[in-house]
Amino acid sequence: MHRTHDLEIFPEYTVTQLLFKDLKNAAELRKMAVNGEIKGALINPTMIVDAFQILVAANKAVHLHKNGKMKTRSLYSEIIFNLSPTNNISEAFKRFGISDSDNAVYIVLVHNKEETLNVDDIISKVDGQQIDVDQVSELTDAAIVKKLYKVAPMEERCGSLLDAVVCRMATKDVA
Amino acid sequence: MEEADVLRKQVPSYLAEAQMIKQGAEARVYRGRFLGRSVIIKERFPKLYRHPSVDEKLTRRRTAQEVRSILRCRRAGINAPVVYFVDYNYHCIFLEDIVHSVSVRDYIVPVQATVQGTEHLQTLADKIGEILAQMHDEDVIHGDLTTSNMLLLAKAEHKNINLVLIDFGLSYISALTEDKGVDLYVLEKAFLSTHPNTETLFDRLLKSYTASSKKAPAVIKKLDEVRLRGRKRSMVG
Ligand SMILES: Nc1ncnc2c1ncn2[C@@H]1O[C@H](COP(=O)(O)OP(=O)(O)O)[C@@H](O)[C@H]1O
Ligand SMILES: [Mg+2]
Repeated sequence: MHRTHDLEIFPEYTVTQLLFKDLKNAAELRKMAVNGEIKGALINPTMIVDAFQILVAANKAVHLHKNGKMKTRSLYSEIIFNLSPTNNISEAFKRFGISDSDNAVYIVLVHNKEETLNVDDIISKVDGQQIDVDQVSELTDAAIVKKLYKVAPMEERCGSLLDAVVCRMATKDVA
Repeated sequence: MEEADVLRKQVPSYLAEAQMIKQGAEARVYRGRFLGRSVIIKERFPKLYRHPSVDEKLTRRRTAQEVRSILRCRRAGINAPVVYFVDYNYHCIFLEDIVHSVSVRDYIVPVQATVQGTEHLQTLADKIGEILAQMHDEDVIHGDLTTSNMLLLAKAEHKNINLVLIDFGLSYISALTEDKGVDLYVLEKAFLSTHPNTETLFDRLLKSYTASSKKAPAVIKKLDEVRLRGRKRSMVG
């Protein structure tokens, strides 16, 4: 049920995405991510419009990682940072990371193709119901997304909310 | 041999998979794949005649300007391709591929030859004038307005013309009426030389521009001044 994507411009990397609802152990997962037991980004799905948004953040994280230009300490924190429209790191974690009381989680794993990835191991750590990543749209809080990314109704005349979000993520270094 | 090696390093490996669609003086434009989608990749390559550090700065600035202006336009509801990714190492911009589009240039040429051509083109001219007025209201100066740098999505005879502005590499932000007037002057020159006998059509575009913004009449006045300067200069030269 998880989804795996290749990054065309970094063919040695793969991105795996998993989505869970009815989550019971957010606090525990957060601890595991902090102590390295889970090597992945734990993201608040209410801020995610589409799986493509995750891929854009992951691709940029790999790019900055390879060039030694990350703003945070790991590839996974960098994914969370890249989702944010601002350059404030703690704000990014507050909005896009998960909190102990959350009842859903979007997990993103990035791995080199030579490494083996044990998805089942990660799934076994989550006390929640796994759903298809496309179902993230049922969890999106569009009103908060629009507010945070400052998307005015006018902008939706020339594209979707996803377009607006991705365009800000890609240009935030110079905007 | 050594220089060739240096050059090769300056080309990112992902461009090898992409198909080049245009080689310009400043940039190469490719079509490729990115995160499962079709994209346009615009690569600003190093200019060997410029000092490397000057070149790097200038190229970086143009790349940044291009994505900034695109975002500024989209925020105001003016259609321009979505930016997916920017690689500042190689100065490559990954843009939404505007599929099923034709440039306004390629659209005008055959339509001009048909009987109902004039009417279709009038609707298009109205739309272009309206969008450029909106763009100038956002203080975006395009810098390279031509009919090649406008893509047309739906059929122009429909009320709902979908115009997409592209190629913001020479753009900048300015509130000056003078800059907006020059922007229109550049378009006028390009328009009339690319499409002969379109003076009436271009007038219609300017009328629509004027009607679309409170600030437009002052810009048109500047345009008149700029034209006059242009004419004087060409008489001297
Ligand atoms: N986003 C896009 N979608 C579809 N075609 C595009 C897009 N961007 C550019 N093109 C095509 O590539 C050509 C060159 O791109 P442009 O940005 O105008 O570069 P240049 O500075 O070389 O003129 C355009 O005239 C158009 O035909
Ligand atoms: Mg062009």
